[in-house]
Amino acid sequence: MRVGFPHFSTAYVIAKAVANKLGALGHELIIPPPMTQKTLDLGVKYSPAEACLPYKLTLGSLIEACELGADVLIQARGTGICRLGYYARGQEQMLHDLGYDAHFVNLDVSEHKIQSLMQLVRDLTHDAPLSRIISAVFWGLNKLFALDKIEKVVQKTRAVETEKGEANQIYHEAINAVDEAADRKEVRKITKEYIDRLNKVPINHTANPLRVGIFGEIYVVIEPFANMDIEIELGKLGVEAHRTMTLSRWVKYSLFLNYLGINEWRKVHQLAMPYLDHDIGGDGWESVGEKVLYARNGYDGVVHIAPFTCMPEIVAQNIMQSTREDIPVFVLISDEQMGKQGMLTRLEAFVDLLEFRRRRNGKTI
Amino acid sequence: MIRVGIPRALLYYQYCSGWKTFFERLGAEVVVSEPTNKVILNSGVSRAVADTCLPVKILLGHLISLIGDCDYIFVPAITSLGEKTYNCSKIIGLPNIARALIPESPVILDPEINLEKGRYHLYYNIYKTGHHFTSNPFRIEKAVQAALESHSAYRRKMSDSGITRIQAISGNEDKDFGCTPGKENSMRIAVIGHPYVLYDDYVNHNLISKLRSMKARVFVPEMVPEAMLDAATTRLAGQAHWSFENDIIGAGEYYLEQKIDGIVNLSVFGCGPDSMMVKFLEHRAKELGVAFLPLSIDEHSSEGALLSRLEAFIDMAKRRERVCV
Repeated sequence: MRVGFPHFSTAYVIAKAVANKLGALGHELIIPPPMTQKTLDLGVKYSPAEACLPYKLTLGSLIEACELGADVLIQARGTGICRLGYYARGQEQMLHDLGYDAHFVNLDVSEHKIQSLMQLVRDLTHDAPLSRIISAVFWGLNKLFALDKIEKVVQKTRAVETEKGEANQIYHEAINAVDEAADRKEVRKITKEYIDRLNKVPINHTANPLRVGIFGEIYVVIEPFANMDIEIELGKLGVEAHRTMTLSRWVKYSLFLNYLGINEWRKVHQLAMPYLDHDIGGDGWESVGEKVLYARNGYDGVVHIAPFTCMPEIVAQNIMQSTREDIPVFVLISDEQMGKQGMLTRLEAFVDLLEFRRRRNGKTI
Repeated sequence: MIRVGIPRALLYYQYCSGWKTFFERLGAEVVVSEPTNKVILNSGVSRAVADTCLPVKILLGHLISLIGDCDYIFVPAITSLGEKTYNCSKIIGLPNIARALIPESPVILDPEINLEKGRYHLYYNIYKTGHHFTSNPFRIEKAVQAALESHSAYRRKMSDSGITRIQAISGNEDKDFGCTPGKENSMRIAVIGHPYVLYDDYVNHNLISKLRSMKARVFVPEMVPEAMLDAATTRLAGQAHWSFENDIIGAGEYYLEQKIDGIVNLSVFGCGPDSMMVKFLEHRAKELGVAFLPLSIDEHSSEGALLSRLEAFIDMAKRRERVCV
């Protein structure tokens, strides 16, 4: 069997690590190529016109995986409220129509997450011993945590580095290095090494960069292709981007700590309470709360990223307008029609506005 | 007398009779907003974020038109109506959207109907709503019983006598509308869509009357008994996640099996559930070789364009029949 999955930021690092650890069990892991315009074009061509961007992108990526010979595909599944519940069904039918003989296995991301993950790995490994699966999964997560730790430093450095693009270059090297690391010790060493390197990047010490929070629908927030590298672009404009949502955080809480009754969004939900008092599916509730949280924490602005026609995010947008906590919001609706230049012009205007606002409020930049 | 406003939009078409009975039994006067018109549409559109779907914008317009006419406005958040089935986010967040966008509105009664959370949650929410009118829980319970009876009578009336919601609401049982005996030769067209688009004549530019004037016999989802709808949905799309998709996919599959001459799918631009489900139906219609017309409407769609597409569709379906015979 050749196992494929849709590309999602650095998730391929975990998949690769888990597969290596489990060793040759008669499977081959197909790593889909990074997202490009071709992925998007493929996805758009074979999706319902009004499906949301994550659907189109993941379909494009799965088609690319099929072209490389994958016959078992891993796709996320949710129960309910948002379109995610029907991703696998629609995509399976489409791939079948296209003539690929691919079988879907689903990773449940709304309930029974850990059981679903274990079951998935077990199915794919023909009932390998549980201890071996657990150790493989943890090994993959180990790499993921290292990467997200490095990314946090990159986000800070990007805004203040004197030579733009250096931090990003180091981050890319770090991803490759972590990807190739052979054991935990090496991962630790690499993490330390790259964080040191990032700290040595020449920076403008007098700068007090604008701080912007990024939130929205998880796929388009985390996958750089879907948001047109907005974090890098903000960095070029000298703005520090902060993002709560990361893959490692999702894994840490959704797969483990939530089972102990710890909810990572508790504070955010409480802040959203006056405006929205129950879950509306997807990441809508969190979006409302995060806007309030960033405003309270004294950020200069926020960027709200949502796929076009995303139901939960539209509700969040409607509600968000009228919160008492006031903070400038940059709304980025991502779909296949988006153009980078248009986004950049808007982003520049937004950053100018934030600077003006800060100066008016008596702080220096 | 306390007056409760019910906007004539979205879920009104599904539950109007139950809601009305509930509030009337509690001694309130029910004020239903006018049918949608230009003023209502524009005032709703002006408030909401541009990407919001048309039915929600229309609901906001109806809410605005009710201001001043009533003491309470009833906008429930109907989250879940069965195990592992939910509604669209916009319906779940409806009262919150309304409160955020129309701060000047009267008190909004917003029980959360979520059967996933169990019996107690449901009772609590109903009591919370009834509490505005009476503090006697037994009176509230009686009102609920009456409402349930009235709702099932309303539902039965539609599936038994093959009439649409509009007719059931207005009491006009014009038999000529649907399956009419003696007109076997005319085309049979199923119009599939959510009740709030199908029966809001301002929004759909009188689609059903237009089809009838083209000598077609029109079938709508309500003419199918509920059990058949569920069975058809499960056959085509497996376990349904969205409560109101029966209207689309269940009815579509049911009529496809009845070898209907054509299916017109009326959906709203940007409708999340429809965007996924209609694809399954389209696929199936293609397999069975049935003419299928997907129509997407929003606040900008024009009557002329709709009419020419309908005419072309009917001509095509007629020709197909002739070729097949």
